[in-house]
Amino acid sequence: MASEPITEFIVLFQMMCVVVVFAYLVTRSQWYHEVLDGILSWKNQVFLILVFGIVSIYGSMSGVEVLGAPLNIRDTGPMVAGFVGGPIAGIGAGLIGAAYRMTLGGFSKIACSVATVLSGLLAGLIFIANNRKMPALVMAVAAAIIIEGIHMGLVLVFSRPFSQALTLVSDVAFPMIAANAAGIFVFGYISLNLKKERETARERDRYQGELQRKNAELHIAREIQESFLPPSLPALPGYTLAAESRPAREVGGDFYDVLASPGGRVGLVIADVSDKGVPAALFMALSSTVMRASAAWHQQPGDAVRDANTLIAGESRSGMFVTLFFCILDPEQGTITYVNAGHNPPLLVRDDGTVHSLSMTGMALGADPGESYEERSLSLCSGDLLVLYTDGVTEAEDSSQLQFGEERLADVARRERSRPAGAVLASIQAEVSAHTGAMPQFDDMTLVVLKVGT
Amino acid sequence: MSTTLKVEEQRRGDIPILSLGGRMDSTTSPDAEAHLTRLIGEGAHRIVVDFRDLEYISSAGLRVLLASQKRLKQAGGAVLLSALRPEIRKVFDIAGFNRLFTIYPTLEEALGAGQGR
Repeated sequence: MASEPITEFIVLFQMMCVVVVFAYLVTRSQWYHEVLDGILSWKNQVFLILVFGIVSIYGSMSGVEVLGAPLNIRDTGPMVAGFVGGPIAGIGAGLIGAAYRMTLGGFSKIACSVATVLSGLLAGLIFIANNRKMPALVMAVAAAIIIEGIHMGLVLVFSRPFSQALTLVSDVAFPMIAANAAGIFVFGYISLNLKKERETARERDRYQGELQRKNAELHIAREIQESFLPPSLPALPGYTLAAESRPAREVGGDFYDVLASPGGRVGLVIADVSDKGVPAALFMALSSTVMRASAAWHQQPGDAVRDANTLIAGESRSGMFVTLFFCILDPEQGTITYVNAGHNPPLLVRDDGTVHSLSMTGMALGADPGESYEERSLSLCSGDLLVLYTDGVTEAEDSSQLQFGEERLADVARRERSRPAGAVLASIQAEVSAHTGAMPQFDDMTLVVLKVGT
Repeated sequence: MSTTLKVEEQRRGDIPILSLGGRMDSTTSPDAEAHLTRLIGEGAHRIVVDFRDLEYISSAGLRVLLASQKRLKQAGGAVLLSALRPEIRKVFDIAGFNRLFTIYPTLEEALGAGQGR
Protein backbone atom coordinates (compact mmCIF):
# COMPACT_ATOMS: atom_id res chain seq x y z
CA MET A 1 0.00 0.00 0.00
CA ALA A 2 1.11 3.50 -0.75
CA SER A 3 2.03 5.81 2.10
CA GLU A 4 -0.51 8.36 3.26
CA PRO A 5 0.81 11.51 1.51
CA ILE A 6 0.95 9.63 -1.79
CA THR A 7 -2.63 8.38 -1.34
CA GLU A 8 -3.72 11.94 -0.57
CA PHE A 9 -1.90 13.18 -3.63
CA ILE A 10 -3.52 10.57 -5.85
CA VAL A 11 -6.97 11.43 -4.49
CA LEU A 12 -6.33 15.14 -5.09
CA PHE A 13 -5.16 14.38 -8.61
CA GLN A 14 -8.33 12.36 -9.21
CA MET A 15 -10.41 15.28 -7.94
CA MET A 16 -8.69 17.65 -10.33
CA CYS A 17 -9.32 15.30 -13.26
CA VAL A 18 -13.01 15.22 -12.41
CA VAL A 19 -13.01 19.03 -12.01
CA VAL A 20 -11.41 19.44 -15.46
CA VAL A 21 -13.99 17.18 -17.10
CA PHE A 22 -16.79 18.91 -15.22
CA ALA A 23 -15.50 22.37 -16.14
CA TYR A 24 -15.31 21.31 -19.76
CA LEU A 25 -18.89 20.03 -19.77
CA VAL A 26 -20.28 23.07 -17.96
CA THR A 27 -18.53 25.49 -20.32
CA ARG A 28 -20.15 23.78 -23.32
CA SER A 29 -23.65 24.68 -22.10
CA GLN A 30 -25.58 27.61 -23.50
CA TRP A 31 -26.52 28.82 -20.01
CA TYR A 32 -22.91 29.13 -19.00
CA HIS A 33 -22.16 31.08 -22.18
CA GLU A 34 -24.94 33.51 -21.31
CA VAL A 35 -23.57 33.88 -17.79
CA LEU A 36 -20.10 34.71 -19.17
CA ASP A 37 -21.75 37.27 -21.46
CA GLY A 38 -23.16 38.92 -18.32
CA ILE A 39 -26.76 37.70 -18.73
CA LEU A 40 -27.79 36.76 -15.17
CA SER A 41 -31.45 35.86 -15.60
CA TRP A 42 -33.10 33.83 -12.79
CA LYS A 43 -32.92 30.78 -15.07
CA ASN A 44 -29.17 31.15 -15.43
CA GLN A 45 -28.76 31.72 -11.68
CA VAL A 46 -30.76 28.55 -10.92
CA PHE A 47 -28.52 26.72 -13.39
CA LEU A 48 -25.42 27.96 -11.58
CA ILE A 49 -26.86 27.10 -8.16
CA LEU A 50 -27.78 23.53 -9.16
CA VAL A 51 -24.64 22.75 -11.15
CA PHE A 52 -22.20 24.18 -8.66
CA GLY A 53 -24.23 22.78 -5.77
CA ILE A 54 -23.59 19.35 -7.30
CA VAL A 55 -19.90 20.25 -7.74
CA SER A 56 -19.87 21.14 -4.04
CA ILE A 57 -21.47 17.80 -3.08
CA TYR A 58 -18.94 16.00 -5.24
CA GLY A 59 -16.25 17.98 -3.43
CA SER A 60 -17.42 16.54 -0.09
CA MET A 61 -17.90 13.01 -1.39
CA SER A 62 -14.52 12.81 -3.04
CA GLY A 63 -12.66 14.02 0.02
CA VAL A 64 -10.23 11.95 2.10
CA GLU A 65 -11.03 11.39 5.76
CA VAL A 66 -8.67 13.17 8.12
CA LEU A 67 -9.68 12.89 11.80
CA GLY A 68 -13.29 12.40 10.79
CA ALA A 69 -13.27 15.57 8.68
CA PRO A 70 -12.69 15.11 4.98
CA LEU A 71 -9.94 16.98 3.13
CA ASN A 72 -12.09 18.28 0.37
CA ILE A 73 -12.82 20.77 -2.41
CA ARG A 74 -16.41 21.43 -1.30
CA ASP A 75 -15.87 25.20 -1.45
CA THR A 76 -14.71 25.23 -5.07
CA GLY A 77 -18.22 24.94 -6.55
CA PRO A 78 -19.82 27.81 -4.59
CA MET A 79 -16.75 29.99 -5.20
CA VAL A 80 -16.96 29.48 -8.99
CA ALA A 81 -20.72 30.18 -8.88
CA GLY A 82 -19.98 33.41 -6.95
CA PHE A 83 -17.13 34.50 -9.21
CA VAL A 84 -19.15 34.12 -12.41
CA GLY A 85 -22.70 34.76 -11.17
CA GLY A 86 -22.61 36.93 -8.07
CA PRO A 87 -23.59 36.41 -4.41
CA ILE A 88 -27.03 34.80 -4.96
CA ALA A 89 -25.58 32.05 -7.14
CA GLY A 90 -22.66 31.66 -4.73
CA ILE A 91 -24.85 31.40 -1.62
CA GLY A 92 -27.32 29.06 -3.39
CA ALA A 93 -24.63 26.62 -4.45
CA GLY A 94 -23.06 26.99 -0.99
CA LEU A 95 -26.36 26.08 0.74
CA ILE A 96 -26.64 22.87 -1.28
CA GLY A 97 -23.07 21.93 -0.47
CA ALA A 98 -23.55 22.89 3.17
CA ALA A 99 -26.78 20.86 3.51
CA TYR A 100 -24.98 17.79 2.27
CA ARG A 101 -22.06 18.49 4.62
CA MET A 102 -24.44 18.67 7.60
CA THR A 103 -25.61 15.13 6.84
CA LEU A 104 -22.03 13.88 7.12
CA GLY A 105 -21.76 14.96 10.75
CA GLY A 106 -18.44 15.26 12.63
CA PHE A 107 -17.34 17.81 15.22
CA SER A 108 -16.59 20.52 12.63
CA LYS A 109 -19.83 20.17 10.62
CA ILE A 110 -21.27 23.56 11.55
CA ALA A 111 -18.04 25.50 10.95
CA CYS A 112 -17.45 23.68 7.65
CA SER A 113 -21.03 24.21 6.44
CA VAL A 114 -21.03 27.90 7.35
CA ALA A 115 -17.65 28.26 5.64
CA THR A 116 -19.02 26.76 2.42
CA VAL A 117 -21.94 29.23 2.27
CA LEU A 118 -19.57 32.04 3.21
CA SER A 119 -17.15 31.10 0.39
CA GLY A 120 -19.98 31.47 -2.18
CA LEU A 121 -20.98 34.82 -0.66
CA LEU A 122 -17.44 36.23 -0.58
CA ALA A 123 -16.75 35.14 -4.15
CA GLY A 124 -20.02 36.83 -5.17
CA LEU A 125 -18.98 40.06 -3.43
CA ILE A 126 -15.67 39.98 -5.30
CA PHE A 127 -17.69 39.62 -8.54
CA ILE A 128 -19.66 42.76 -7.62
CA ALA A 129 -16.54 44.66 -6.57
CA ASN A 130 -15.04 43.79 -9.98
CA ASN A 131 -17.83 45.69 -11.81
CA ARG A 132 -20.03 42.59 -11.98
CA LYS A 133 -17.42 40.77 -14.01
CA MET A 134 -15.52 37.57 -13.42
CA PRO A 135 -12.21 38.45 -11.71
CA ALA A 136 -8.90 37.78 -13.47
CA LEU A 137 -7.30 34.38 -12.87
CA VAL A 138 -4.65 35.58 -10.40
CA MET A 139 -7.26 37.49 -8.42
CA ALA A 140 -9.63 34.50 -8.30
CA VAL A 141 -6.92 32.10 -7.13
CA ALA A 142 -5.65 34.56 -4.52
CA ALA A 143 -9.23 35.08 -3.29
CA ALA A 144 -9.71 31.28 -3.07
CA ILE A 145 -6.60 31.00 -0.88
CA ILE A 146 -7.85 33.73 1.47
CA ILE A 147 -11.39 32.27 1.60
CA GLU A 148 -10.00 28.85 2.46
CA GLY A 149 -7.88 30.53 5.15
CA ILE A 150 -11.10 31.98 6.59
CA HIS A 151 -12.64 28.51 6.43
CA MET A 152 -9.78 27.21 8.58
CA GLY A 153 -10.22 30.14 10.96
CA LEU A 154 -13.94 29.33 11.36
CA VAL A 155 -13.08 25.73 12.26
CA LEU A 156 -10.68 26.99 14.92
CA VAL A 157 -13.15 29.48 16.35
CA PHE A 158 -16.33 27.41 16.36
CA SER A 159 -15.26 23.75 16.61
CA ARG A 160 -14.73 22.21 20.07
CA PRO A 161 -12.65 20.72 21.53
CA PHE A 162 -10.16 23.33 20.36
CA SER A 163 -7.15 21.00 20.55
CA GLN A 164 -8.82 18.62 18.10
CA ALA A 165 -9.73 21.54 15.80
CA LEU A 166 -6.13 22.76 15.91
CA THR A 167 -4.78 19.30 15.01
CA LEU A 168 -7.29 19.05 12.15
CA VAL A 169 -6.48 22.48 10.79
CA SER A 170 -2.73 21.96 11.01
CA ASP A 171 -3.13 18.64 9.16
CA VAL A 172 -5.46 19.71 6.35
CA ALA A 173 -4.95 23.46 6.00
CA PHE A 174 -2.19 23.37 3.39
CA PRO A 175 -3.56 20.56 1.15
CA MET A 176 -7.11 21.99 1.34
CA ILE A 177 -6.07 25.50 0.45
CA ALA A 178 -3.93 24.12 -2.38
CA ALA A 179 -6.69 21.80 -3.67
CA ASN A 180 -9.37 24.51 -3.72
CA ALA A 181 -6.98 27.01 -5.29
CA ALA A 182 -6.21 24.42 -7.97
CA GLY A 183 -9.94 23.82 -8.53
CA ILE A 184 -10.54 27.54 -8.96
CA PHE A 185 -7.55 27.75 -11.26
CA VAL A 186 -8.97 25.02 -13.53
CA PHE A 187 -12.46 26.53 -13.68
CA GLY A 188 -11.15 30.05 -14.00
CA TYR A 189 -8.67 29.16 -16.71
CA ILE A 190 -11.25 27.36 -18.84
CA SER A 191 -13.93 30.01 -18.26
CA LEU A 192 -11.68 32.95 -19.04
CA ASN A 193 -10.36 31.24 -22.16
CA LEU A 194 -13.91 30.64 -23.27
CA LYS A 195 -14.80 34.25 -22.54
CA LYS A 196 -11.87 35.49 -24.60
CA GLU A 197 -12.75 33.09 -27.41
CA ARG A 198 -16.32 34.35 -27.47
CA GLU A 199 -15.18 37.97 -27.50
CA THR A 200 -12.82 37.23 -30.40
CA ALA A 201 -15.60 35.45 -32.26
CA ARG A 202 -17.95 38.39 -31.68
CA GLU A 203 -15.33 40.82 -32.93
CA ARG A 204 -14.75 38.64 -35.99
CA ASP A 205 -18.49 38.54 -36.66
CA ARG A 206 -18.65 42.31 -36.31
CA TYR A 207 -15.78 42.77 -38.78
CA GLN A 208 -17.39 40.32 -41.15
CA GLY A 209 -20.68 42.18 -40.91
CA GLU A 210 -18.90 45.45 -41.50
CA LEU A 211 -17.05 43.98 -44.46
CA GLN A 212 -20.29 42.69 -45.92
CA ARG A 213 -21.90 46.08 -45.51
CA LYS A 214 -18.92 47.82 -47.13
CA ASN A 215 -18.99 45.37 -50.03
CA ALA A 216 -22.68 46.00 -50.49
CA GLU A 217 -22.02 49.75 -50.44
CA LEU A 218 -19.23 49.38 -53.00
CA HIS A 219 -21.56 47.35 -55.17
CA ILE A 220 -24.12 50.15 -55.07
CA ALA A 221 -21.35 52.72 -55.67
CA ARG A 222 -20.35 50.77 -58.76
CA GLU A 223 -23.91 50.83 -60.07
CA ILE A 224 -24.11 54.57 -59.46
CA GLN A 225 -20.79 55.09 -61.18
CA GLU A 226 -21.90 53.02 -64.17
CA SER A 227 -24.99 55.21 -64.38
CA PHE A 228 -22.68 58.22 -64.94
CA LEU A 229 -21.50 56.61 -68.17
CA PRO A 230 -23.73 56.95 -71.26
CA PRO A 231 -26.35 54.18 -71.12
CA SER A 232 -26.04 53.74 -74.89
CA LEU A 233 -24.03 55.25 -77.70
CA PRO A 234 -25.73 57.36 -80.38
CA ALA A 235 -25.99 56.03 -83.91
CA LEU A 236 -23.87 58.22 -86.19
CA PRO A 237 -24.61 57.74 -89.87
CA GLY A 238 -21.34 57.01 -91.67
CA TYR A 239 -19.48 56.15 -88.45
CA THR A 240 -19.27 53.36 -85.92
CA LEU A 241 -18.60 54.10 -82.27
CA ALA A 242 -17.72 51.75 -79.39
CA ALA A 243 -16.72 52.38 -75.77
CA GLU A 244 -16.06 50.40 -72.61
CA SER A 245 -14.66 51.15 -69.17
CA ARG A 246 -13.38 48.43 -66.82
CA PRO A 247 -12.41 49.52 -63.31
CA ALA A 248 -9.54 47.60 -61.62
CA ARG A 249 -11.48 47.55 -58.36
CA GLU A 250 -15.21 47.80 -57.66
CA VAL A 251 -15.12 51.47 -58.57
CA GLY A 252 -12.56 53.45 -60.51
CA GLY A 253 -11.44 56.83 -61.77
CA ASP A 254 -11.78 56.40 -65.54
CA PHE A 255 -14.75 57.68 -67.46
CA TYR A 256 -15.92 58.44 -70.96
CA ASP A 257 -18.84 60.46 -72.22
CA VAL A 258 -20.69 61.14 -75.45
CA LEU A 259 -22.36 64.56 -75.56
CA ALA A 260 -24.78 65.97 -78.06
CA SER A 261 -23.77 69.39 -79.38
CA PRO A 262 -25.78 71.89 -81.43
CA GLY A 263 -25.89 71.32 -85.18
CA GLY A 264 -25.67 67.54 -84.99
CA ARG A 265 -22.16 67.66 -83.62
CA VAL A 266 -21.08 65.10 -81.04
CA GLY A 267 -18.63 65.56 -78.17
CA LEU A 268 -16.43 62.63 -77.12
CA VAL A 269 -14.71 62.60 -73.72
CA ILE A 270 -12.24 60.17 -72.22
CA ALA A 271 -10.68 60.87 -68.83
CA ASP A 272 -8.54 59.29 -66.15
CA VAL A 273 -8.54 60.50 -62.53
CA SER A 274 -5.26 60.11 -60.62
CA ASP A 275 -4.98 56.99 -58.44
CA LYS A 276 -7.79 54.41 -58.31
CA GLY A 277 -10.49 52.95 -56.09
CA VAL A 278 -12.89 55.02 -53.95
CA PRO A 279 -10.93 58.33 -53.87
CA ALA A 280 -10.64 58.28 -57.65
CA ALA A 281 -14.33 57.37 -58.00
CA LEU A 282 -15.41 60.36 -55.89
CA PHE A 283 -13.27 62.68 -57.96
CA MET A 284 -14.55 61.05 -61.14
CA ALA A 285 -18.13 61.92 -60.13
CA LEU A 286 -17.12 65.55 -59.66
CA SER A 287 -15.06 65.76 -62.85
CA SER A 288 -17.55 64.10 -65.18
CA THR A 289 -20.38 66.31 -63.92
CA VAL A 290 -18.31 69.50 -64.23
CA MET A 291 -17.12 68.51 -67.70
CA ARG A 292 -20.66 67.72 -68.88
CA ALA A 293 -21.97 71.07 -67.62
CA SER A 294 -19.07 73.03 -69.08
CA ALA A 295 -19.39 71.27 -72.44
CA ALA A 296 -23.12 72.11 -72.53
CA TRP A 297 -22.34 75.76 -71.84
CA HIS A 298 -19.49 76.39 -74.30
CA GLN A 299 -19.40 75.94 -78.08
CA GLN A 300 -15.63 75.60 -78.23
CA PRO A 301 -13.87 72.64 -76.59
CA GLY A 302 -10.98 74.85 -75.43
CA ASP A 303 -13.35 77.09 -73.46
CA ALA A 304 -15.22 74.10 -72.03
CA VAL A 305 -12.03 72.45 -70.78
CA ARG A 306 -10.61 75.72 -69.43
CA ASP A 307 -13.68 76.36 -67.25
CA ALA A 308 -13.86 72.73 -66.15
CA ASN A 309 -10.22 72.97 -65.07
CA THR A 310 -10.77 76.12 -63.04
CA LEU A 311 -13.70 74.52 -61.22
CA ILE A 312 -11.92 71.23 -60.59
CA ALA A 313 -8.67 72.90 -59.47
CA GLY A 314 -10.67 74.77 -56.84
CA GLU A 315 -11.76 71.42 -55.36
CA SER A 316 -8.41 69.70 -55.40
CA ARG A 317 -6.40 70.43 -52.28
CA SER A 318 -5.45 66.76 -52.12
CA GLY A 319 -3.50 67.00 -55.36
CA MET A 320 -6.09 64.94 -57.25
CA PHE A 321 -6.08 65.64 -60.95
CA VAL A 322 -7.70 64.28 -64.06
CA THR A 323 -6.23 63.83 -67.52
CA LEU A 324 -8.87 64.37 -70.18
CA PHE A 325 -9.25 64.33 -73.93
CA PHE A 326 -12.26 66.13 -75.38
CA CYS A 327 -13.08 66.34 -79.07
CA ILE A 328 -16.08 67.59 -80.97
CA LEU A 329 -16.88 65.65 -84.09
CA ASP A 330 -18.77 67.27 -86.91
CA PRO A 331 -20.09 64.20 -88.74
CA GLU A 332 -21.24 66.20 -91.76
CA GLN A 333 -17.93 67.95 -92.34
CA GLY A 334 -15.83 65.01 -91.21
CA THR A 335 -13.74 67.14 -88.84
CA ILE A 336 -12.77 66.93 -85.20
CA THR A 337 -11.69 69.77 -82.96
CA TYR A 338 -9.90 68.55 -79.86
CA VAL A 339 -8.24 69.52 -76.63
CA ASN A 340 -5.83 67.18 -74.90
CA ALA A 341 -5.51 68.04 -71.20
CA GLY A 342 -2.52 65.93 -70.22
CA HIS A 343 -4.12 62.70 -71.41
CA ASN A 344 -2.36 59.75 -73.06
CA PRO A 345 -2.29 60.82 -76.73
CA PRO A 346 -5.14 59.16 -78.66
CA LEU A 347 -4.13 57.36 -81.82
CA LEU A 348 -5.42 58.37 -85.23
CA VAL A 349 -4.84 55.54 -87.69
CA ARG A 350 -5.27 56.72 -91.27
CA ASP A 351 -6.74 54.50 -93.92
CA ASP A 352 -3.23 54.01 -95.38
CA GLY A 353 -1.91 52.71 -92.05
CA THR A 354 0.00 55.76 -90.83
CA VAL A 355 -0.49 56.42 -87.13
CA HIS A 356 -0.66 59.90 -85.57
CA SER A 357 -0.67 60.82 -81.88
CA LEU A 358 -2.98 63.61 -80.78
CA SER A 359 -0.61 64.97 -78.17
CA MET A 360 -1.08 67.35 -75.26
CA THR A 361 -2.47 70.84 -75.77
CA GLY A 362 -2.67 71.74 -72.07
CA MET A 363 -2.05 70.46 -68.56
CA ALA A 364 -4.12 67.82 -66.74
CA LEU A 365 -7.23 69.30 -65.06
CA GLY A 366 -6.98 70.25 -61.39
CA ALA A 367 -3.27 71.08 -61.30
CA ASP A 368 -3.25 74.78 -62.18
CA PRO A 369 -6.47 76.84 -62.08
CA GLY A 370 -5.13 79.40 -64.59
CA GLU A 371 -4.19 76.97 -67.36
CA SER A 372 -5.45 77.68 -70.89
CA TYR A 373 -6.06 75.02 -73.50
CA GLU A 374 -5.14 75.14 -77.14
CA GLU A 375 -7.55 73.62 -79.66
CA ARG A 376 -6.50 71.66 -82.68
CA SER A 377 -8.58 70.52 -85.65
CA LEU A 378 -8.12 67.86 -88.27
CA SER A 379 -10.09 66.29 -91.06
CA LEU A 380 -11.16 62.67 -91.03
CA CYS A 381 -11.39 60.56 -94.16
CA SER A 382 -13.26 57.38 -94.85
CA GLY A 383 -11.41 54.42 -93.33
CA ASP A 384 -9.75 56.45 -90.56
CA LEU A 385 -9.79 55.05 -87.05
CA LEU A 386 -9.59 57.06 -83.82
CA VAL A 387 -8.60 55.19 -80.63
CA LEU A 388 -8.98 56.95 -77.28
CA TYR A 389 -7.57 55.02 -74.30
CA THR A 390 -6.46 55.38 -70.69
CA ASP A 391 -3.06 54.32 -69.34
CA GLY A 392 -4.56 51.16 -67.83
CA VAL A 393 -4.48 49.78 -71.38
CA THR A 394 -0.88 50.62 -72.29
CA GLU A 395 0.48 50.02 -68.77
CA ALA A 396 -1.17 46.60 -68.37
CA GLU A 397 1.67 44.34 -67.22
CA ASP A 398 2.47 40.70 -67.74
CA SER A 399 3.96 38.48 -65.01
CA SER A 400 7.46 39.92 -65.62
CA GLN A 401 6.15 43.49 -65.31
CA LEU A 402 6.50 44.14 -69.03
CA GLN A 403 3.95 46.75 -70.14
CA PHE A 404 1.58 46.26 -73.05
CA GLY A 405 2.88 49.56 -74.44
CA GLU A 406 1.79 52.14 -76.99
CA GLU A 407 3.56 50.44 -79.86
CA ARG A 408 1.64 47.23 -79.42
CA LEU A 409 -1.59 49.23 -79.15
CA ALA A 410 -0.73 51.05 -82.37
CA ASP A 411 0.09 47.72 -84.05
CA VAL A 412 -3.27 46.21 -83.12
CA ALA A 413 -5.11 49.36 -84.24
CA ARG A 414 -3.26 49.40 -87.55
CA ARG A 415 -3.91 45.69 -88.14
CA GLU A 416 -7.63 45.97 -87.31
CA ARG A 417 -8.27 49.37 -88.92
CA SER A 418 -10.60 48.08 -91.65
CA ARG A 419 -13.04 46.64 -89.12
CA PRO A 420 -15.92 48.46 -87.38
CA ALA A 421 -15.29 50.19 -84.04
CA GLY A 422 -16.81 47.42 -81.88
CA ALA A 423 -14.56 44.76 -83.41
CA VAL A 424 -11.46 46.93 -83.01
CA LEU A 425 -12.28 47.55 -79.35
CA ALA A 426 -12.79 43.83 -78.73
CA SER A 427 -9.49 42.98 -80.44
CA ILE A 428 -7.56 45.47 -78.32
CA GLN A 429 -9.15 44.09 -75.14
CA ALA A 430 -8.35 40.52 -76.22
CA GLU A 431 -4.71 41.42 -76.96
CA VAL A 432 -4.34 43.13 -73.58
CA SER A 433 -5.86 40.07 -71.83
CA ALA A 434 -3.51 37.77 -73.73
CA HIS A 435 -0.58 39.94 -72.66
CA THR A 436 -1.44 40.11 -68.95
CA GLY A 437 -2.43 36.42 -68.75
CA ALA A 438 -3.31 35.48 -65.17
CA MET A 439 -2.05 38.78 -63.71
CA PRO A 440 -4.83 40.77 -61.99
CA GLN A 441 -5.95 43.99 -63.65
CA PHE A 442 -3.80 46.69 -62.06
CA ASP A 443 -5.42 49.90 -63.25
CA ASP A 444 -8.77 51.05 -64.65
CA MET A 445 -8.96 50.44 -68.41
CA THR A 446 -11.10 52.48 -70.79
CA LEU A 447 -11.34 52.54 -74.56
CA VAL A 448 -13.39 54.69 -76.94
CA VAL A 449 -13.09 53.81 -80.62
CA LEU A 450 -14.47 55.83 -83.55
CA LYS A 451 -14.34 54.46 -87.09
CA VAL A 452 -15.08 56.58 -90.15
CA GLY A 453 -17.16 54.50 -92.57
CA THR A 454 -18.69 51.20 -91.62
CA MET B 1 11.85 45.50 -61.67
CA SER B 2 10.91 45.99 -58.07
CA THR B 3 7.44 46.25 -56.59
CA THR B 4 8.39 48.44 -53.63
CA LEU B 5 9.33 52.05 -53.08
CA LYS B 6 12.54 52.94 -51.31
CA VAL B 7 12.43 56.34 -49.61
CA GLU B 8 15.59 57.87 -48.15
CA GLU B 9 15.77 61.21 -46.47
CA GLN B 10 18.89 63.34 -46.08
CA ARG B 11 19.69 67.00 -45.73
CA ARG B 12 22.17 69.26 -47.46
CA GLY B 13 22.35 72.51 -45.56
CA ASP B 14 18.76 73.69 -45.14
CA ILE B 15 17.46 71.63 -48.03
CA PRO B 16 15.85 68.25 -47.34
CA ILE B 17 16.42 65.64 -50.04
CA LEU B 18 14.02 62.76 -50.59
CA SER B 19 15.59 60.01 -52.69
CA LEU B 20 13.06 57.69 -54.28
CA GLY B 21 13.85 54.25 -55.69
CA GLY B 22 11.75 51.50 -57.24
CA ARG B 23 8.08 51.94 -57.92
CA MET B 24 5.78 54.78 -56.90
CA ASP B 25 2.18 53.62 -57.37
CA SER B 26 -1.07 53.72 -55.42
CA THR B 27 0.18 51.06 -52.99
CA THR B 28 3.60 52.56 -52.30
CA SER B 29 3.19 56.33 -52.63
CA PRO B 30 1.58 56.85 -49.18
CA ASP B 31 5.07 56.23 -47.76
CA ALA B 32 6.58 59.08 -49.79
CA GLU B 33 3.53 61.23 -48.98
CA ALA B 34 4.13 60.73 -45.23
CA HIS B 35 7.74 61.98 -45.61
CA LEU B 36 6.71 65.01 -47.68
CA THR B 37 3.83 65.93 -45.34
CA ARG B 38 6.14 65.76 -42.34
CA LEU B 39 8.89 67.83 -44.01
CA ILE B 40 6.36 70.50 -45.00
CA GLY B 41 4.92 70.40 -41.48
CA GLU B 42 8.41 70.96 -40.09
CA GLY B 43 8.62 74.13 -42.15
CA ALA B 44 10.66 72.98 -45.16
CA HIS B 45 10.45 75.61 -47.89
CA ARG B 46 12.11 73.86 -50.78
CA ILE B 47 12.33 70.09 -51.03
CA VAL B 48 14.45 68.25 -53.56
CA VAL B 49 13.02 64.93 -54.69
CA ASP B 50 15.72 62.85 -56.35
CA PHE B 51 14.32 60.38 -58.90
CA ARG B 52 17.63 58.74 -59.87
CA ASP B 53 16.57 55.21 -58.83
CA LEU B 54 12.85 55.53 -59.54
CA GLU B 55 11.74 53.05 -62.20
CA TYR B 56 8.00 53.69 -62.41
CA ILE B 57 5.54 56.37 -61.37
CA SER B 58 1.76 56.13 -61.67
CA SER B 59 -0.82 58.89 -61.43
CA ALA B 60 -1.07 58.13 -57.70
CA GLY B 61 2.61 59.10 -57.39
CA LEU B 62 2.06 62.28 -59.41
CA ARG B 63 -0.83 63.18 -57.10
CA VAL B 64 1.44 63.03 -54.04
CA LEU B 65 4.01 65.33 -55.68
CA LEU B 66 1.29 67.69 -56.91
CA ALA B 67 -0.28 67.95 -53.44
CA SER B 68 3.11 68.88 -51.94
CA GLN B 69 3.84 71.32 -54.73
CA LYS B 70 0.48 73.08 -54.16
CA ARG B 71 1.14 73.42 -50.41
CA LEU B 72 4.71 74.68 -50.87
CA LYS B 73 3.77 77.13 -53.62
CA GLN B 74 1.27 78.82 -51.33
CA ALA B 75 4.21 79.73 -49.08
CA GLY B 76 6.42 80.66 -52.04
CA GLY B 77 8.35 77.39 -51.89
CA ALA B 78 8.63 74.50 -54.34
CA VAL B 79 9.30 70.84 -54.92
CA LEU B 80 12.42 70.48 -57.09
CA LEU B 81 12.87 67.29 -59.08
CA SER B 82 16.14 65.79 -60.21
CA ALA B 83 17.52 62.95 -62.33
CA LEU B 84 14.34 61.68 -64.02
CA ARG B 85 14.76 58.64 -66.24
CA PRO B 86 13.40 59.12 -69.77
CA GLU B 87 10.31 56.93 -69.18
CA ILE B 88 9.44 58.91 -66.06
CA ARG B 89 10.15 62.20 -67.76
CA LYS B 90 7.62 61.09 -70.39
CA VAL B 91 4.90 60.62 -67.75
CA PHE B 92 5.48 64.21 -66.62
CA ASP B 93 5.48 65.46 -70.21
CA ILE B 94 2.20 63.72 -71.13
CA ALA B 95 0.33 65.22 -68.16
CA GLY B 96 1.93 68.62 -68.77
CA PHE B 97 3.51 68.55 -65.30
CA ASN B 98 6.93 69.45 -66.73
CA ARG B 99 5.63 73.02 -66.58
CA LEU B 100 4.48 72.67 -62.99
CA PHE B 101 7.75 71.38 -61.55
CA THR B 102 11.27 72.55 -62.21
CA ILE B 103 13.17 69.48 -63.32
CA TYR B 104 16.97 69.32 -63.05
CA PRO B 105 19.24 66.83 -64.80
CA THR B 106 21.20 66.06 -61.61
CA LEU B 107 20.77 66.28 -57.85
CA GLU B 108 23.69 68.73 -57.59
CA GLU B 109 22.03 71.14 -59.99
CA ALA B 110 18.75 70.91 -58.10
CA LEU B 111 20.58 71.64 -54.84
CA GLY B 112 22.44 74.55 -56.44
CA ALA B 113 19.12 76.05 -57.52
CA GLY B 114 17.48 75.24 -54.15
CA GLN B 115 20.18 77.05 -52.20
CA GLY B 116 20.24 79.89 -54.68
CA ARG B 117 17.61 81.78 -52.73
